[in-house]
Amino acid sequence: MNLFSLSGLIIIATCSVLLIIIFIFGKNRLHKIWAIFNFVVIIWGIGSFLVGIAKTETSALFAWRLAFLGALFTCVFFYHTVFIFSNTKKRTFLIFAYTQGIFFAILTLFTNLIFDNWRIVFNSIYYNRATLFYYILLGFWTFVMIVGHYKLFKFSRNATGIKHTQGVYLCFGSFIGHLGGVFALLPAFGIDLYPISNFAIPIYSAIVTYGILRYRLLDITIVITRTGIFIAVYSLVLGSPFLIAYSLQTYLIGYLGENWWFVPMGVLTVLATVGPFIYIFFNSKAEERLLRTQRQYQNTLRQASSGMIRIRNLRELLNLIVHVITKTVKLESAAIFLLNSENTHYKLAAKRDSSRLTKDFILERNSPLIKQLNLKREPIVYEEIQLQIQDNPRDSKMAALEKQLKEINTAIVVPSFVGNRLLGFLVLGKKLSGKLYSQDDLNVFSVLANQAALAIENAQFYEDIKETQEQLFQAEKMATIGTMADGLSHQVNNRFQALSLIAGDSLDILQTIEDSKISSKVKDSLSQLKHAFERIQANVIQGGEIVKGLLKYSRPGQRGFEFVNFNKIVDGALEMVQYKVRLQELDIKRIIPKDLPKLKCNLTQLEEVFFNLIDNAYDAIKERKEITAEEGFKGNIIISAVQKNEYLWITFQDNGIGFKDKDKEKVFTPFFTTKATSKKGTGLGLYVIQKIVNFHNGTVSLNSTYNKGTRFEIVLPLSKK
Amino acid sequence: MPKLLIVDDEVDVREFARNFFKRRKIDVVVASSGEEALNILEKEGPNLMILDIRMDGMDGIEVLKRMREKGNKTEVIMVTGVDEKEAAEKAREFGIIDYIHKPLILDELERIVLKRLLKNK
Repeated sequence: MNLFSLSGLIIIATCSVLLIIIFIFGKNRLHKIWAIFNFVVIIWGIGSFLVGIAKTETSALFAWRLAFLGALFTCVFFYHTVFIFSNTKKRTFLIFAYTQGIFFAILTLFTNLIFDNWRIVFNSIYYNRATLFYYILLGFWTFVMIVGHYKLFKFSRNATGIKHTQGVYLCFGSFIGHLGGVFALLPAFGIDLYPISNFAIPIYSAIVTYGILRYRLLDITIVITRTGIFIAVYSLVLGSPFLIAYSLQTYLIGYLGENWWFVPMGVLTVLATVGPFIYIFFNSKAEERLLRTQRQYQNTLRQASSGMIRIRNLRELLNLIVHVITKTVKLESAAIFLLNSENTHYKLAAKRDSSRLTKDFILERNSPLIKQLNLKREPIVYEEIQLQIQDNPRDSKMAALEKQLKEINTAIVVPSFVGNRLLGFLVLGKKLSGKLYSQDDLNVFSVLANQAALAIENAQFYEDIKETQEQLFQAEKMATIGTMADGLSHQVNNRFQALSLIAGDSLDILQTIEDSKISSKVKDSLSQLKHAFERIQANVIQGGEIVKGLLKYSRPGQRGFEFVNFNKIVDGALEMVQYKVRLQELDIKRIIPKDLPKLKCNLTQLEEVFFNLIDNAYDAIKERKEITAEEGFKGNIIISAVQKNEYLWITFQDNGIGFKDKDKEKVFTPFFTTKATSKKGTGLGLYVIQKIVNFHNGTVSLNSTYNKGTRFEIVLPLSKK
Repeated sequence: MPKLLIVDDEVDVREFARNFFKRRKIDVVVASSGEEALNILEKEGPNLMILDIRMDGMDGIEVLKRMREKGNKTEVIMVTGVDEKEAAEKAREFGIIDYIHKPLILDELERIVLKRLLKNK
């Protein structure tokens, strides 16, 4: 046996393993063709093995015919691979490739046009001298190969992402492989170069198989470097003893006699032992150089993830995470989604440059992306999902996932788990460099995301505590204010009372003066005084109202909760309000179903809510009348209520003056009033409404258009107990 | 002349309310505390009493309770600074003719007072 047949054996072994791998993992047409390619390479392997051991011209002829049968079709299936890989539609050249393959196969197998005129090269291998048809055959073979490569090159140059990388793999692999194959034929042309290059063929098959099968590819430069170093180291390990044995044999026999082989054996043992270390050493040095930028940002991210845990402000933390990621890795965009406090959905919590996501973007818990993250617990790469769909177009689950990923405009999604709980996830855009995410990247992001989860949980915890403390503090403050307000309002009311009486009495005195006995100048002064006292009285009354409002706010719930019909609340409010508002000026319409369930509430407080609403609406309507002076305008109020699940949705709509946009945000702020004259409003009405509604675990919101009206929406929970 | 008793611990309230009603030909007596009020009730026998609820010392409710216990049936108008439901209910149990909130406008008080006193005449 010689090296050539050894290379044949290695080809057979490697390609068989690859064939099995493709059968197990392959899914699509590309994989099938590539499997056939590997099969014809195996035939070439068998052929070259037999060539190596052929002892007669007859057996050499058989071996070479077999080898050529394989070799002929490598170009055909290579072209077919490129054909599918580049989604080519036109079949003309494919048919041509097959035809010429079959034609030359027939020539090879059944005629003597190709092989003739044998000679033994390197003392062991039968080579023929190239015939005319040998030239023609190789010419066609090279032509098909060149067309295939040109096509592949053109396609890969324009492709992006994983297709581009795969193309580079294919190009690089076939370059090594075909060069190896062609070099093995050189002796047929009289160039006696030992066909050692045949060893390159299994490398070729392996590289391309890897490139085609894997979704996530190593950077090609790393593959080349690793392969190069591997070959160099093991050529040294295996080659040096061989060289020693070959060149120093005579000398060694003379010196050591029978045991001469101890020397090459010893060298082999020593080199084989240190070989792996040499390999690892060179490999890490090389990768350090190649991946310098990647390693740099990965280091930055690692440092950032360990520092995150110290940040206690959630917002700051989230912004920092997206900032660090986009800046250090140089990404188009980054965003973080977090589980909301009710555990119902994931909400966008922070983002950077991802314009497609709106501020309130939400992903439900049962959305495809969340399901997939929970299932796989590892990063989802958009391109891989795309490829999986290509392989398996009927998978509706994948299709839904792909759609969602596209919607959030992401290249990868990295989950953050705390235990079994998906706390949130990072949504990362493409790299600005256009490069693909490597497995190393994903590992680093996963570590980062999980560290971030801990940090986020930590921050949330601190914020919860802070909020609880604030609530406690607020409650305490309110209790204090409650007690204070009680005493204070008594005192203040006593002052008001005195003021009111003084003003009233003074007015009374002024009124007793008989007009006829005084000059007009004095009369004038008196009327001014009268006005002044009236204003004192008006202010006193308004002050009294403010005190009353404050008291209501500081003393929630004098009565307990009871089950009340919503209609009763409105009735009560209308009864109260009729002393203040001329109800006949308004159209009040109620849309309240009879079978509405009763509301568990504090009746007095809710009456207060609707009292305030009607009162406000009345003022707003009056103001609109005064300002716009529309003809035939009549104020109307629509109060409606419906049950939606466990909630009562109440809308209260008026066609009054409405709020200006700039005021909308402030309407619930205490002491804020827009009423035309400040003497009319205390600025507490809506504030009290909100307090009461919140106290009932409800929400109140408003929608208002200036000069059109206002619509309040109150949602109250319907408790069953 | 009808007689009105004003019970309030605020000196200004007493002074100005008295002046006001005096001009309406009403005999006004004032008391600055609950104890004083009970004394005057016995001695002077007013037709109507304006009684503040919250005062230093004995409060209005207590005054009302004690006078009713003594069988005094003088008509009473209660005045309160804060909205106290309990106090108001208690006061109603003892029989009062009205219950008004501070701060009040004199005209309003005048209306109520004159209505009661003229009816009694």
